[in-house]
Amino acid sequence: MAAAAAQGGRSGGSGGSSGAGGGSSCGTGVGRSGLLDKWKIDDKPVKIDKWDGSAVKNSLDDSAKKVLLEKYKYVENFGLIDGRLTICTISCFFAIVALIWDYMHPFPESKPVLALCVISYFVMMGILTIYTSYKEKSIFLVAHRKDPTGMDPDDIWQLSSSLKRFDDKYTLKLTFISGRTKQQREAEFTKSIAKFFDHSGTLVMDAYEPEISRLHDSLATERKIK
Amino acid sequence: MVRAGAVGAHLPTSGLDIFGDLRKMNKRQLYYQVLNFAMIVSSALMIWKGLIVLTGSESPIVVVLSGSMEPAFHRGDLLFLTNFREDPIRAGEIVVFKVEGRDIPIVHRVIKVHEKDNGDIKFLTKGDNNEVDDRGLYKEGQNWLEKKDVVGRARGFLPYVGMVTIIMNDYPKFKYALLAVMGAYVLLKRES
Repeated sequence: MAAAAAQGGRSGGSGGSSGAGGGSSCGTGVGRSGLLDKWKIDDKPVKIDKWDGSAVKNSLDDSAKKVLLEKYKYVENFGLIDGRLTICTISCFFAIVALIWDYMHPFPESKPVLALCVISYFVMMGILTIYTSYKEKSIFLVAHRKDPTGMDPDDIWQLSSSLKRFDDKYTLKLTFISGRTKQQREAEFTKSIAKFFDHSGTLVMDAYEPEISRLHDSLATERKIK
Repeated sequence: MVRAGAVGAHLPTSGLDIFGDLRKMNKRQLYYQVLNFAMIVSSALMIWKGLIVLTGSESPIVVVLSGSMEPAFHRGDLLFLTNFREDPIRAGEIVVFKVEGRDIPIVHRVIKVHEKDNGDIKFLTKGDNNEVDDRGLYKEGQNWLEKKDVVGRARGFLPYVGMVTIIMNDYPKFKYALLAVMGAYVLLKRES
């Protein structure tokens, strides 16, 4: 397991990552909580192990999120993620109930309750699999753009990505769903990850950010034309 | 590996940072890490409880700890048990039973059975490789076993696999260390 720990260390790297939108800013005020500042490494450049496929994908996803949320000031919608968390929490709840009931009423008497909990747990697992495969797919960000006039419903932007195992081609897909017309438009790009990372594994935002902006603008301008 | 900052109690930002993945996460992602760990534990627990319900035995998988049933079973073999009430216990069958007041299940063969009309039985057991029957193992004054002492009867077995359990019980520190490392790996590494 030393290999696993070392790998975790390399992906942590010398300091930093992009935030997932929820962190505190690096403390500029004098009075901010010192420990929380030192814990969060949101605003430092992202450095990861360039050979670790999942770390690469995570950092590209996080940076794309950061661009959409900070540059275009969209508001993140946690509905999809909350759905997954709820399903998992309910499953664990069934497991805990089974554990406690079996402890209080030793085996033969607890049989019906145990059977019920076990079946419910596996049903919830099935629901979770269906949810992540069909509803969540590979979407990692759902963001809303509030209509400035306040009259129309929000426009929804969705980001999903894929990076195959041991492959270097990263595909990022941006989906725009108009609040008013409920129409859906997509744009995507597939590029090698070598275009965005330097040889030491630092993500070069100057190369990545224009790609995101280009995707975004290609969808946004179509809307204005219509 | 240069440590960042010599002033004050800085958290490490270079070198081995096992919390690296965690520091980039927001509250929901942190909760998901904990949930992920809980789900792995729950899955193992539910599979075990499910086996208990399916087989009707309170311990459906046991490890043979002694050589008293050689040449049939050796120390370190894994046994699969069922405990259905309808199955009669007959002489010659291998049963796993617990002596009242002791935790450790014993795997031996039934050699004598007395049965009443209403289905109550009392039976005597002996290990194939032992010289004498098990009366020395039973409780003080007890000469026969009853249905309620039975944990189950052996339906299938896997040789040698149980040695892992024996080793982990002989060296509990190794077991806890292994579990701690596995738990830390799941909690600290971000799932893709």
